[in-house]
Amino acid sequence: MRGRVPARCGAPYDSGMNSLLSSRGPLPDLGRSTLTWFAGWWRIIHFGALILVLALSPSSYAGPNRSALARHVYLGTAPILLWFIVLSSLISLVIIRIVVVTAVSYGLSQYALEMVVRVLVLELIPLTAAVFVALGCALPNAEDIAGMRTRGEYDALAQQGVDPLRHEVLPRVASAMFSVLMLAAVSCVVTAVLAYVSIYGFTLGAFAGYTRTFGQVFNPAVSMIFALKSFFFGLAVALIPVASVLYDRPRGRMRMSVELQSLIRLFLALLLVEVASLVGNYY
Amino acid sequence: MKEEPSSASPPAANLEFKAALLLALLFLLIAGAVVYLLYARGAFEESQQLVLMVDDSDGVAVGMNLTFSGFPIGRVRRIELTEDGVARIIIDVPHEDARWLRESSVFTLTRGLLGNTALKAYSGILSDPPLADGAVRKVLVGDATAEIPRLVADMRELVSNLKALSAEDSSLSASLGNVRDLTEKLKGPRGALGMLLGNEADAKKLVTALDRTNALLARVDGLAAKADAQAFGPAGLVPEARAAIVQLNAALTDARTSLKKVDGILADAQVAAGNARDATADLATLRAEVDTSLRKVGRMIDEVNRRWPFARDPKLKLP
Repeated sequence: MRGRVPARCGAPYDSGMNSLLSSRGPLPDLGRSTLTWFAGWWRIIHFGALILVLALSPSSYAGPNRSALARHVYLGTAPILLWFIVLSSLISLVIIRIVVVTAVSYGLSQYALEMVVRVLVLELIPLTAAVFVALGCALPNAEDIAGMRTRGEYDALAQQGVDPLRHEVLPRVASAMFSVLMLAAVSCVVTAVLAYVSIYGFTLGAFAGYTRTFGQVFNPAVSMIFALKSFFFGLAVALIPVASVLYDRPRGRMRMSVELQSLIRLFLALLLVEVASLVGNYY
Repeated sequence: MKEEPSSASPPAANLEFKAALLLALLFLLIAGAVVYLLYARGAFEESQQLVLMVDDSDGVAVGMNLTFSGFPIGRVRRIELTEDGVARIIIDVPHEDARWLRESSVFTLTRGLLGNTALKAYSGILSDPPLADGAVRKVLVGDATAEIPRLVADMRELVSNLKALSAEDSSLSASLGNVRDLTEKLKGPRGALGMLLGNEADAKKLVTALDRTNALLARVDGLAAKADAQAFGPAGLVPEARAAIVQLNAALTDARTSLKKVDGILADAQVAAGNARDATADLATLRAEVDTSLRKVGRMIDEVNRRWPFARDPKLKLP
């Protein structure tokens, strides 16, 4: 597998698909671009399957691969963790204040906590974490891969017998996914604490009622949707930018760079996951 | 963020440790969140079951609280529809909170105006036996929104009544007009009297009658004073009557004396009568003797008449 992977993940799709798509002929432009778009999605899904297989393989965590994974996990998460906690805390405080004041002014203060939990913990924090990781970690990682390919280091690794997908791509994908989950988890906890303190003050007397409300919001279905949403956010943020730089090519007619294409694909994927979670939670 | 490939890697041991710390932190956060959610969902509580039957479970949601005195003591675990179309609300009540539920407890389902539904338990007699596990109870439904149509209908009726009352030609308006007339009459020269009698002439008559009555009363007052003097004065009737009674007492005393004398006379008369009775017994003998003498005289006269020549011929001669 080590020798075949670069050929499988790059060349066959490029040659086959692009020869089909670049042929001028009966296909109109719209159809061709649509086909290109769906082909890009298919490549991403295939790339995700490859990465998943590599991630589940124990040999991916041995020797130098483990060091690379640890380095990327740490460097992809630690620098942005503190900033994200500060930023999400500020946003959470503002939103908690708005929700609580509005609820009190309408005489619905008993619903304020539930609304804060639903709006912030369930919906906004995971989405914000995904966007933050995408901009702060996943896109730079994709740029690294693109730079390596441009400089020929990617192919040089393959020629040296080192699987670049396992050694360079998997750690970056794993670090981005870990980063999304880590940021979402930490800021959800911080936001939950901030919500409690904002509504009840520094007392433990309301902890039982708070816990009960939390339990009411997080019923089994909502909890499962929340976990799946966080997982798919992480997957989308980790896979789409890297897959785009590996497989997409700049579209000459639309003057759209690979990075922009990956960003559009990423936001579309995040939007779809969010909509699916909203449908699952509220319909 | 930009990094060179593995050739320029920093010290790996330190990074691996930090990465392991981050992984451990994430694991702890996720595990803690799962445990907290399980605790919040009541997974670690020993609970008993309560089944509430209600015709309409609209507004009841899984996870909803059952409250007692405002405190949540149970949560809805499942809602299902029975074969006979009644909703079964299955509630988990932790054992430590189940002590508030008694055999005589009453359960209500109230729906507020904003659609907020609440399940409440009321236990009036806390000394009753505790509610058994799996007990089935009917729920009393107090629906605030169900009252709205009736309330609106009542309000509409009330408003129409008010309209009818306040209309120009309504009874209330006429009554108020009459009250205004009355008050104007009250403010008039004859006041309430003129209002009661209706016209000036009768009011004048009544005033005149009152004046006369006053004069009459003054005279009666004088008469009463005079009668008082005649009855109770020094030469009045009462002192004279008292003197007459004294005299009557004296006359009665005389009469009593006279009667005593009469008694004596009567006793004498009684004696005289006894004598007369004796005399009457002698008279019978005397009368017998007189009768005998008279019969002899009669026979003698008959003999004389028979012997007398000018005696009458008693025989009848027939022709």
